[in-house]
Amino acid sequence: MTIAQHAVIMCLAPPDKTRCDSAVFSTTLLAVALLMLSLATQPSAQAAEVTTGKNADTGLRYWQWQSGDLLLKLTQRLPDQTRAFFMARGFTTEQANTIATNCAFQSMMKNTGSDSVIKLDLSQWTVKHNNRQHSLRTREVWKPIWKKQQANPAAQIAFEWALLPTHQTYNTDDYNWGLSSYGLPPGSVFDLNFSWQRNGKTLHGQIKSIQCPADDHQEPKP
Amino acid sequence: MIKHSIKKIVLVSLCYLLLPAALAGQGLSPVKGKPDAPDFSLPDLDGKTHRLSDYRGKVVVVNFWATWCPPCRFEMPSMQSAWLKTKDKGVVILAIDVGEDEDTIFTFTGDYPVEFPLLLDEDSKIIHQWSVRGLPTTFVIDPDGRIVYRAIGGRHWDDPILLEKILKLLPANSSSQQKSTP
Repeated sequence: MTIAQHAVIMCLAPPDKTRCDSAVFSTTLLAVALLMLSLATQPSAQAAEVTTGKNADTGLRYWQWQSGDLLLKLTQRLPDQTRAFFMARGFTTEQANTIATNCAFQSMMKNTGSDSVIKLDLSQWTVKHNNRQHSLRTREVWKPIWKKQQANPAAQIAFEWALLPTHQTYNTDDYNWGLSSYGLPPGSVFDLNFSWQRNGKTLHGQIKSIQCPADDHQEPKP
Repeated sequence: MIKHSIKKIVLVSLCYLLLPAALAGQGLSPVKGKPDAPDFSLPDLDGKTHRLSDYRGKVVVVNFWATWCPPCRFEMPSMQSAWLKTKDKGVVILAIDVGEDEDTIFTFTGDYPVEFPLLLDEDSKIIHQWSVRGLPTTFVIDPDGRIVYRAIGGRHWDDPILLEKILKLLPANSSSQQKSTP
């Protein structure tokens, strides 16, 4: 018999009011204790709603993760689309190809809450692929590469701003929209482990089995 | 195969153009401590130089953007609409393009005609001084030159609630006869 059942029985027996009050008090005390215990031991990993799907027109897949105030959406980006975009910004064919074949996703992050502040640090996020983990290829990872190659200055500026910011603070309704780069060959499947801070508390999430888009690019036959 | 790929790219691009509309909220975040806005002096498409400090006494909306950025393109028409509604009330909009030349921006204005000044930060020096981390980012500067609000991502700038917040920054006796440029 649980304490709650015991309390109900005590209170159903009208002659003994003291015993009833005592049982109700014990029950309330236990409930409060259990609630506090569950809050204290609650893991920082968030219960989240993960939605995956495929755009009927483009055939491109997306992974959307929502928990509390954070909305994160990754949509496959065709390597050809990435090549075209960066060549138009001034990168050479080879440089654009390097970006395109590093597994780029169109990414969106938004604070959907009404009174929270969310802080992201992409340098803390990890990609798990074939039982090995590595970091995302952030702006700071790419920057020295373009500098060493003396890439077109306008292209370098466009690249910096086209990638999601590595560090960002999102208030209500704030969102960013940009590329994220995962350092994997086209077609790779990986898990993304990510974290964020909500009002100063660090939280963690995971999206499993994300698939980098395949590189269907075919050279025209002579 | 190639034809199919092109069709796919066009469809994907269309999706990217439409999605920002669904994302846009109306929030303007108050900036703690109202720091002084870093001054700048930048040319517009006609070669005219605009110095932020010359607009002291007006409310200035400073928007950082680029032509290739979907949420930036999305918010441009509503920014034009906001400009028409507020330009005679002492509000100025300055949209600073990051990293592109005037030909690129001029071509863009064929599809997105706007009348407020589009300034060029070709070497991205100014955007770094403003500690911006993603495009678009917009700041609202009060008549004393202090940063009052910030918005990351696109907004419906002609929304009455949002405009009210901006207009409230004007001095109480602000003349509706004020000109839009100094």
